[in-house]
This record gives sequence, structure tokens and C-alpha cells, in this order.
Amino acid sequence: MVGPIASLSQLHRSDGSASYKCPATGYSILGAVNGPIELPARRDALKPEEATVEVFVKPGTTTGGVGERYIEGILRSVLGKIVLGREKGFPRRGVVITLAIVGGENVARGDNYLTILPALLHTGLLAMISASVPLSMTFSATLLGVTEDGDIVRDPSPTAAKAAVSLHVFAFSSKNHLLLNESEGRFGFDTWEYVRERALSICQGETTASADGDVAMGEGTASASVSGFIRETVEDQIYSDYAYKLDSI
Amino acid sequence: MASSTTASNLTPPSLSLPPSQFARLQPHAYLLAHLSPPPASNQPSIRANGRAASQFRVTSANAGSLTHTNGSAVVRIGDTAAVCGVRAEILHTKDIASWSVLQASSEHNLDNSNYAGVSESQDEEDRGHIQDLNLLVPNLSLSTGCAPGFTPGAPPSALAQSLSHQLLSLLHTTRLVRAEDLRIWYQPPNLESEEFGNAGEGMDVDTEESGGPEREIKAFWVLYIDVMIISLAGNPFDAAWASVLAALRDTKLPRAWWDADNETVLCSDDVADARKLSLRGLPVASSFCSFEGDAAAGWRAVVIPSAEEQKQKKSAQRRWILADPDGYEEGLSQERASVVVDKENGKTVIVKMEKHGGWTVDSDDLRQLVDVSAQRWDEMKRILDQC
Repeated sequence: MVGPIASLSQLHRSDGSASYKCPATGYSILGAVNGPIELPARRDALKPEEATVEVFVKPGTTTGGVGERYIEGILRSVLGKIVLGREKGFPRRGVVITLAIVGGENVARGDNYLTILPALLHTGLLAMISASVPLSMTFSATLLGVTEDGDIVRDPSPTAAKAAVSLHVFAFSSKNHLLLNESEGRFGFDTWEYVRERALSICQGETTASADGDVAMGEGTASASVSGFIRETVEDQIYSDYAYKLDSI
Repeated sequence: MASSTTASNLTPPSLSLPPSQFARLQPHAYLLAHLSPPPASNQPSIRANGRAASQFRVTSANAGSLTHTNGSAVVRIGDTAAVCGVRAEILHTKDIASWSVLQASSEHNLDNSNYAGVSESQDEEDRGHIQDLNLLVPNLSLSTGCAPGFTPGAPPSALAQSLSHQLLSLLHTTRLVRAEDLRIWYQPPNLESEEFGNAGEGMDVDTEESGGPEREIKAFWVLYIDVMIISLAGNPFDAAWASVLAALRDTKLPRAWWDADNETVLCSDDVADARKLSLRGLPVASSFCSFEGDAAAGWRAVVIPSAEEQKQKKSAQRRWILADPDGYEEGLSQERASVVVDKENGKTVIVKMEKHGGWTVDSDDLRQLVDVSAQRWDEMKRILDQC
């Protein structure tokens, strides 16, 4: 399976940026983060003691509609929760995250946005790391579809996602907390728990013991996991950023 | 003047605050004190609004409240009230730009249906028609002066927009409305038939004559589903979805047919001819929020325990999952969970499950929430059947 491709700090005018391409679903996202900045509107009434996180999603071909407002709300709640908004310089200011969908299929009206959600989450996270926004944890997300035969498909394409009986997006923090779950379709709780186990092993790449004591092998080594991919992307960027120091040694 | 102020100050000011003021000044501590009473007091752990943690507010529903709509309902959950009206309009297929392309592709599907299960291809076709042609148009309005934060007449807030999207998305994924109910057919008369006198009856919607020309779709009903939240005290989605459900159950569409002579769709004004929509199932939404006991967690740079440690320390960890949060509780919690369940032959099917905004709710809690939602389904079914 072809893994995603990501690179950091591509845009020069923003504080941090990231581009992310997922070959399996075909989506390509460009994200920019500015923060901490002074927000034009006075936000003291909301929560003056911490930073306001704002997320904007721009679809590729149209202007944003109600679906974007919905997904922005979800992204804000997930990304806002991991930002340490009370660090020095952050209270009463804002962290503005802009995510542009530059490639992939259009999301139709009333469509659930689940197929693109992991890509948006990863781009937002990488862009915030690139902008050096203090974070309490990182996370990794994945999309899984359950077919009619009960098979679990990882990162289904938009066509396969339409044919799936249920679609699930999971995001796990670096400490294995369930940060986000969005599930749609028709399923029972046992199916959901089974999919959750699978998602955890994809995201964290660990061997997970199931309820009956069996140890199921995860999706290869840690570097093949999604969290390993995030880590490697950041490591590569740091390596190239500090190349001058390495040369001088 | 000075003497008068000293005179009024002679009575010492009371040092205790009334509960309502304490609730405003220290909202977090106020709710926490209710949920974790001192062990000596022998009081049960209840919320500030007097409910138990998994208790929903009193719900009432009334269908057919608006006379000028095809179907309507008012649903009240505690102090949150939603009015929903469904209005049907006719969409001619000649006004659909991509109609010929769509029709060709659907015929292709029908050919395949001989091999695959018929019901399945029916579902596919439903999805194609309802989603591609946008036959369901829900909209939710919060600009009604429903709560102090929403000014009347203002453009739709981000919350209102995302709620509208959630309604539409749930209508699509549950496939609540059948496309067959929304189609207006035309059966061309069989002119080659020997019994020429029967040709007039061929226009009837439901008759299918064998050997005659194929009947075709001439128009669709488009359902405009408008929800007004007239009072908002937390949990708008449950109330809005319940009102949409009740209104669609109440919706009656007049009998409509294509009149070949006038080349238009005519509707019968006879109420007895109108038929109700046959909906698929009864998905019921239940929302929850997680209230964390440690208010200072966000202030201090605490090390967040990993998921395994958190599980072990569950007894010591202080957080409550509150069902059907009111506005006060929503303001004090960030983590939200929402479960939409349906029941088929007594078996619970999850239609949608979501949680975000925190890391304290995991699979054990979600399993409990599904059970609570299944109980709520029984309650809501009783309420909706009565209205």
C-alpha cells in the first residue's frame, strides 16, 4: 500500500505550513497556520485566558458551504483541544488554521466529509508543528470502511466509500486516547469495537492484545504506522533545517 | 448623608450567596458540588438541574401544528423547542439539466438488478435520485431570538449551518425518505392495444400494463424541511432531528399525475387521495457531554496520563457523562458525544456515532451510551407515536 506524502514549511509568508497527499483516497491538502496573532474581533467575552483556535476549510472548486462549517467545527474541537492555549504569548490571541483542498474529488452537498477528514487532521497537525505552536500531544487518524461482506478496508477511495456499509474515522493521541470518532452507516457496537482495534493498530503500529488474550500483529513495524509517518516527516524537516549544524561538526 | 449610610450598614452584610448567584460566579464549582456531594451528607449525585446523569429532559411532541405545510411538528425537549415544517414542491424532469444522463445510467443499473439483489439496487437508485437531485432540502434557523447569544435577523451562524448540514447528512445516510414516494409517474396510453377504451385509464399512476409503452418519471417532489429553533437551552440537534422526524411522519403528499394534454403535473385536491410518506425506520438521536471534575487541568502543565493509566485510575478520575445537556452544562464541557440508533426487530443498530473535543470518553463509555440511547429510542418512539 502506498503511504501518504507530506512536507513541511512550503509556504514562506505563513508561520507554518504543510502539504499532505494521500494516494489511496486521492486527496491533497495544503495547510497554513498563523499564530499567535491578534484577531480582528475582540474575543475577550469568550475565553480571554486561552488562545482562540480558528479553522477554515476551502474546497477546491467552490466556495465553502454548510458542510465546511460543520467540518471546521469538528477540526476546531480536536485541534483546539491539543493546543496549549495558555502558554506565554497565547492568551487573548488566535491560532488561525487554513486548509485548502487542492486535489481529489469534490465533496458533494450533504456528503459526510469522512473520506477527507484524516487528511485534513494530519495537515492541520503538521502545519501547527511547522509553526511551532505548543501542543500537549500529537495524534494520528485513519479512515476505515466496512464492506457488505464484513471486511475492513483501509483508506477506501470515494467510490469504495460510497459502497461501504459503514465508514469510520478514528483519531488516536500519541498516548492512545481516542480523540475523535466519526462513524456513519449501519453497524453494531461489536463491529465498531473491532474496527476500533484495527484503527488503533494502524495508527500506533503496535501489537494489540485482544480480549481473549491473543496477540494480533499490527500493521508492520512502528515506522509503517501513521504516527510513525508523522514523526518521520517532522524528523526529515528538522534534519534539513539543521543541516548547517551537522555540516560544521 | 454619611450618617444614613452608616445606619444602613449597621446590619452586617450576609456572607452567604444565594444558589443562583453562586451558579453564575462559579459555574464549574457549582455543578461539581452537585455531582460530588460530600460523603457525609448522604445526598445522591445529581446535576444542578435535578436530573440524574443519564436522564433526559421531559420531551413532548405535537404533529400537524402548521396548516399551510404538508407536514409539521413542534418538539420540545425541556426548554429547547423546535418547530419543523415540511413543504413539498414539484420539480419537473425537463427542468433537470442532467436528467437524460441520469436516466440512462439508472436504466443501466436496472439491467444489472436482474443479477444482484433487487432491494439493494433499489437503495442505490434511491441514493442516486435523492442525493444527486437534492430532493431533500433541510434548513435550520437559530436567528429567532432563541437565546441571548443569537441576534434575531442575523445571518446564519456557524452553529446553525453545521446543524443544517448534520440534518441533511443524517437524512442521506439513514435513507429515511424513499425516492419512490417522491416520484411522479406517467404511463403513456397503449395506442396499439385493441382495447382502445382502456387507454384513458393508462394515465393512472399505479397501473402497470404489460406490453404497453414503458412508464416514465415526469416529475419529483422536493421536500423543503425548515426547522426553527424557537427556544434554545442546549442540545439543539436532538430537538431539531426529533422535529424533522415527527414532521416527516406527519407529511402527506397530494396525489399527482402528469396530464399529457396540458403537459403539466396536476394534483388532486381531495384529502382522501393524499398519501403519507413511508419512512425507513425511526432513527433517534441522543447527545451527551462529558464534564471534567478537574477545572484546573487546563491551567496547569499537567502530564496527561496515557490511555492505559487512565483506565486503571478510573475510580479516582472524576468526570461525568451527562445525557441531554442543557445550555449551562454545555458551556462547561468541551467533549461531546452523539449517538443515533434505530431498532430493527428489537435489535439495536447504530446509524451514526460521533465523539470529539476531548480524550476521556472511550469504548467502555460509548458502549454504555449506546445502551442509554437504545432506552431513549423506546421513549422517543412512544412520544412520537402519540403525537
